[in-house]
Amino acid sequence: MESTERSPKRRRSTDGYVESPPRRRSLSRSPTHASPKYNLIERPARRSYSRADSDDEADRRYYRDRRSPRSTRSRSRRRSRSPSGTIATPPPDKPTQLHYKPHLILRGHKKGVAAVKFSPDGRWIASCSSDATIKIWDARTGELAHTLEGHLAGISTIAWSPDSKILASGSDDKSIRLWDVTTGQPQPVPLLGHHNYIYALAFSPKGNMLVSGSYDEAVFLWDVRAARVMRSLPAHSDPVSGVDFVRDGTLIASCASDGLIRVWDTATGQCLRTLVHEDNAPVTNVRFSPNGKYVLAWTLDSCIRLWNYVEGKGRCVKTYQGHINKKYSIGGAFGVYGTRDYLYAFVASGSEDGSVVLWDVSSKNVMQRLEGHEGAVLGVDAHPTQQVIVSAGLDRTVRVWRVEEGHGEAVAGPKIDREVETVVTEES
Amino acid sequence: MNLSLVDPFVLAQDCPEALTGRLRSGHSTSIRFSHRGDLLASGRLDGIVVIFDIETNGVARKLRGHTRQVQSLSWSADDRYILSASQDWKCVLWDLKDGSRVRTVRLESPIFIAELHPKNHLLFVAALFEEQPLLVDISSEIPQKLALPSAPLRPQIERDNATEKQAAQDAKQTSTVTVFTPSGDYIISGTNKGWMNIIDTSTRQVQYSTRVTSHLIIYIRTTSSGSHIVVNSSDRIIRTFNLPDLADPSHSFDTMRLEVEHKFQDVVNRLSWNHVSFSSTGEYVTASTWMNHDIYVWERGHGSLVKILEGPKEELSVVEWHPHRPFVAAVGVDSGRVYLWSILTPQRWSALAPDFVEVEENVEYAEREDEFDIQPIEELHKRRLDLEDEDVDVLTVEPGKTAEFQPGEFRMPVLLDIEGSDSEDEVVAVGAGQFRRKSPGAGRDWMNDETQASGDEARKAATANGSASARSNGTKRRRAE
Repeated sequence: MESTERSPKRRRSTDGYVESPPRRRSLSRSPTHASPKYNLIERPARRSYSRADSDDEADRRYYRDRRSPRSTRSRSRRRSRSPSGTIATPPPDKPTQLHYKPHLILRGHKKGVAAVKFSPDGRWIASCSSDATIKIWDARTGELAHTLEGHLAGISTIAWSPDSKILASGSDDKSIRLWDVTTGQPQPVPLLGHHNYIYALAFSPKGNMLVSGSYDEAVFLWDVRAARVMRSLPAHSDPVSGVDFVRDGTLIASCASDGLIRVWDTATGQCLRTLVHEDNAPVTNVRFSPNGKYVLAWTLDSCIRLWNYVEGKGRCVKTYQGHINKKYSIGGAFGVYGTRDYLYAFVASGSEDGSVVLWDVSSKNVMQRLEGHEGAVLGVDAHPTQQVIVSAGLDRTVRVWRVEEGHGEAVAGPKIDREVETVVTEES
Repeated sequence: MNLSLVDPFVLAQDCPEALTGRLRSGHSTSIRFSHRGDLLASGRLDGIVVIFDIETNGVARKLRGHTRQVQSLSWSADDRYILSASQDWKCVLWDLKDGSRVRTVRLESPIFIAELHPKNHLLFVAALFEEQPLLVDISSEIPQKLALPSAPLRPQIERDNATEKQAAQDAKQTSTVTVFTPSGDYIISGTNKGWMNIIDTSTRQVQYSTRVTSHLIIYIRTTSSGSHIVVNSSDRIIRTFNLPDLADPSHSFDTMRLEVEHKFQDVVNRLSWNHVSFSSTGEYVTASTWMNHDIYVWERGHGSLVKILEGPKEELSVVEWHPHRPFVAAVGVDSGRVYLWSILTPQRWSALAPDFVEVEENVEYAEREDEFDIQPIEELHKRRLDLEDEDVDVLTVEPGKTAEFQPGEFRMPVLLDIEGSDSEDEVVAVGAGQFRRKSPGAGRDWMNDETQASGDEARKAATANGSASARSNGTKRRRAE
C-alpha cells in the first residue's frame, strides 16, 4: 500500500539514500491540506549522507579516554528507596517478564502516526500523524476528545506542557503550533523561525520554554509566552532528530543524524558535553532518564544506548538490542515495574517489525514484546503513573497496552478488550 | 543538574563581572527577586507590576491595580503572593495563580516600604511618611491596622533624667523603613533620627534600640539567614551589623549590644548610596550610587571593595542580588530599564567533541600497546557489550537543592496571551512601518474599576501618560522612516 510506504518520519537507508528524491521526508510529499508550494520544497542536497564507509572507519576511530578500565567504574547505588528498616527481608526476586496486554485500539488517523504521548497528568493521549492532524484521546476510555487541525503538512512531533493544558506540535510546514487542549484551538500565532521541517520538541519542566530541533540543523529555544526564539543553539551539522529537557530544566539534550548527542546548558546556551559512539551511527531520538543522570539515544544501527553523560567525557553504559531500527526515527520511553519498595525501570521502544520491545534497564534483557502493529512502530510512551503503554505506527492505529490488576501467569492471548473506531469521513 | 558538567572555575566565581542583559517593560521603579530566583517582580512608574521570567527574560505576568509609581515589592515565602506598595497610598496583595488581587489596603499616607511577614502572607508591615509604621493584618476582608512605635527604647537612667524636650522629640520620631527578620518574630525599623529599633512582632513593643547615626535611615536589609543587617543612611555611610540569634532562649535584649561591623563609604567622592542589598549568602554588599553610574560591591568579611559594576550610562536606583546565583539586577533611573550583571561563561572547546582535550602545554602522545592491533569488529562489539554489566539506576533522584519543583509547591501558570512589550503599549502598529498612538485611556479601564483616586489625580495621570506616549510615538516614527 502506498501510504504505508510513506514514512511520517524521515527514512534513512543504510546505503545512503538510494531513492533519489527522498532527501526530504516523504511525509510532506502529499500532505492532505498542503498548499502546492510545500510540494516544491526540496531539502538542499548539498551533503551526502552516506554512511557506507563508516563501518570501515569505526576501527580507526579511537576515543582513547572514553574506555576507562573496569575497576574505576563506580557501581551505581542500588535502590536507595528501599526501606532501611526492614533489613531482614531480602528483596523479592526481580521479575523477568512483563505482562502488558492489548487494551485499546484507537483508529482515526488517515496516515501513519509519527508520535504518541501521554499527557503529564495521565488523562490524555495525543497522537500526531502525517495526515497533518493531531488527535487527543481519553487515556482511560479511548474516546476521541479533539482532532486538532491547522497544520499544512505532516506532523512529526508533539510535546505536552507540564500542566497538561497546552500541546505543542512541530510540522513539516516549518511551524510549531501551541494548542489549547481543553478547547482544541490553536494559539493564533504559530512559532515561526525554522527554515525546514520540525522534527523534535520538548517543553521545559516549568512550561516557560520550548526546545525544538529541525531539519535545518538548528536547535531553537523558545520563550513560550512571547512566542519568540530566545536562543539558537549552534547544534549540529545534520538534521536535528531529537531534543529533550532534563527534569530540572537546566540541561537540554539534542541529537542529530551526524551521530552526535550534545548536552547543553539551558541558561547559557553552551555545549557542556558531546557524546559520540565509535560507530558514529545517525542518532534519531534522545531522552533523559527519569532521574536525569543518563541519556537514552536511539541510533539507526538498531541499537538504543544509555549514556552516562556526567562521568569522564561521557560513557555508554548499556546497549539495548533486539529491535529493528534502520530507517525511521523511533520513539520510546522509560517505564517502571515492580512493587513500590522495589521499583525497577524498563526501556520501551518501537521496532520496524511492528512490535514494541521492553527491556530491563540494568540486565538489558528483553522482558516483553508487544505484537499487534502491522508495520513499523514509530511512537511509544509510558503512562506517568500507571502501568500503561501507548504505541502508534505506520498502520495508522494507536494502541494502548495495560497490565491487568494482579496479572495472572497465563500469557495473554491477542484478545482485545475494546476496539474504538472513529468514523472517518472520506474527503475527496 | 547542570552543575556536575559546568566548569568548576565558573562555579567558583561568586561575584558577577559583566553586564549581560536588559529587561524592559515600561519604566521600572523597583524590583525584587522571588525566593526561588526564577522570577523578578518589577514595579512601574504607571503602577503596573510586571513579573519577569529570568530564564526567558520575558514578561510572565502583568498586574494592574495601582495608579501611581510602585514603591516597594515583597514576595511571600512560597512565591505565590506578592505585596506591592504604591504612591497611590495603597498596598495590594496579589495572587500569582490567577493574577487576582487578594487584598487592597488603603493607608493614610504615602508608603515608604511594605514588607510581607516571611511566614504569613496575610500580615505585613509598612513604613509611612510622617506617620507611625503599621502592622497590617489582612486575614479578614477588613484589614486590621496596628500601629507600631517609633520612639526608641532608652535605658532606665536616661528615661528618668529625660527632659520634656527630649521626650517630645522621641515621640516625634517616625520610622522610615521597617523590615521583618527572616524568622518573622521581630521587626527591625529605622527612624528619621538615625535610631534602629527591634520590635517584637507579637507584642509590638520595642525590645532594643540603638542609635546608628544622627541622620535619617534610608534602608535596612537582612541576609537570608538573618545573621547580618546592612543599614543605609543619609550620612553617606553604609553600615553592617552582626545580628545575634534572636530566637536563642539564652539571648537577652538587656545585654545585647549591636556593634557596627563595617562601614562602607567613599571618602574621596563622598558618594551617597541609593540602595543597598546583600548577596545571596551575605558575603557581599552591593550598593548603587547617587548621581553616578556604578554599582559598588564590597566583601563583607574583610570590608574591602572588590568590584565596581559598570555598564549603563545612567544612574541606578534599586539594586538586587539574585537569591542564589552571582547575578545582580539594577534599575536605571532615567530609562526605567532593568540591567542584569552576571558571569560570562566561555564555551569550553573540549565539550564539543569527545576526543577534544584542553591542554596547557604540548603533550607527548604515548601510543597504547594494542592501539593499532587489528581485531575483528564482531569481537570488539561483543567485548564492549559484555563490559556493560553494571547496575544502572535511572529512577532514584538524588535529593539536594535543585531548581525543580517539589510536589505541592506553587508554580505560576504560563500565560500565552500577555500583551507585548511596552513599546507597543502606547503605540499600535496599523500597517507595515506605520504606527498610531493608542487612543488615550484605551486599555486603562483598570484605573477606573476602583474610583478611589480622585478625578483630579486621574486627569493628571492621564496627561502624564499622554505626554509619555507622545514622546515614544515620536521616536517610533522616526525609526520607522
